[in-house]
Amino acid sequence: QMAGVLETEEQARNRFQSELEFVQCLANPNYLNFLAQRGFLREKPFVNYLKYLLYWKEPEYAKFLKYPHCLHMLELLQYEHFRKELVNAQCAKFIDEQQILHWQHYSRKRTRLQQALAEQQQQQQQAAPPHGNPASK
Amino acid sequence: MAADKSTKEKLLSALNDIEVLSRELIEMLALSRTQKLPQPGEDTQVLELLVQRDKEFQELMQTAVEQGRIHQEMQQLEKEAEKRDSDIQLLQKQLKEAEHILATAVYQAKEKLKSIEKARKGSISSEEIIKYAHRISASNAVCAPLNWVPGDPRRPYPTDLEMRSGMLGHMSNLPTNGVNGHLPGDALAAGRLPDVLTPQYPWQSSDVSMGMLPPHHGNDFGLEPPGHNKENEDDVEAMSTDSSSSSSDSD
Repeated sequence: QMAGVLETEEQARNRFQSELEFVQCLANPNYLNFLAQRGFLREKPFVNYLKYLLYWKEPEYAKFLKYPHCLHMLELLQYEHFRKELVNAQCAKFIDEQQILHWQHYSRKRTRLQQALAEQQQQQQQAAPPHGNPASK
Repeated sequence: MAADKSTKEKLLSALNDIEVLSRELIEMLALSRTQKLPQPGEDTQVLELLVQRDKEFQELMQTAVEQGRIHQEMQQLEKEAEKRDSDIQLLQKQLKEAEHILATAVYQAKEKLKSIEKARKGSISSEEIIKYAHRISASNAVCAPLNWVPGDPRRPYPTDLEMRSGMLGHMSNLPTNGVNGHLPGDALAAGRLPDVLTPQYPWQSSDVSMGMLPPHHGNDFGLEPPGHNKENEDDVEAMSTDSSSSSSDSD
């Protein structure tokens, strides 16, 4: 699949698709753990490939990414220390948990705001007690 | 250049001569009272010399006066030259200051131009940004769905299922056995998988990316992207994204 210097346009387009998919897979910490445990992260060609994939940070490419977390992971993967740590399942689990918590951050904030608003409205209603019987109108 | 005697020296020597000559003349006159002159005509000689010396003296005085005048002029000119010098120095200082200010201004202007260029290079149409923001939000890729609870299989990264259904997944012709304990087809049929997991995975929106080409590389790495197409069946479960113990898989 990795074409040599000459590749047809179709091959190039396919390569674009597969690289797009692959780079986004890097957002999945469990997949990273999988790669680490099989020793891919220790191989020089693979490390070179990870460096090559940094082109996805450029705006003209980044706009195709659906999972932007992958770019952060890609950056971290440039460091040998990070690649070494990923062998541990606990490390991957920790990353996964933090990632999900971060992902939920905005929704939680929104929920809190909605709750606060609801409480505020409730207090306002209680503060102004209804007098008389509206039905008597 | 012949060492000319200074005017002062000449004057003094002329005076000396006059003094000597006049003394001689007076001696001769005094002598001539009592006796005849040893050399006839000597007195006229001395007199002539005296007259000559006096003439010289007068001329020298003229010269001296002239020289004095010139000297005064010279001094005045020197004073003026000094004034001009200080003027020039003042201008020089001001020029230097101005140069410094201009240099700073030019430097800052250049920096500003650089940052303008930088900003221009990074400019993106607001439409594109909004489109992109919608793309990553609508699919819940960056923000969890509001009704998300532990057990929901949705994630901020491509899940096992999505990875398999993509181009890379299809390249490997994996047997579809037991992912998370259930086959996609079955679960769909059983109506238990939410719509989000049906095969409308992100990278199938290739209409957008059609025509886009990746950068060239010289095949340094020469290694196929590992993962899907290198798997064998046993590895399938290991790759499961069911990491969180809180996810309860119903069958």
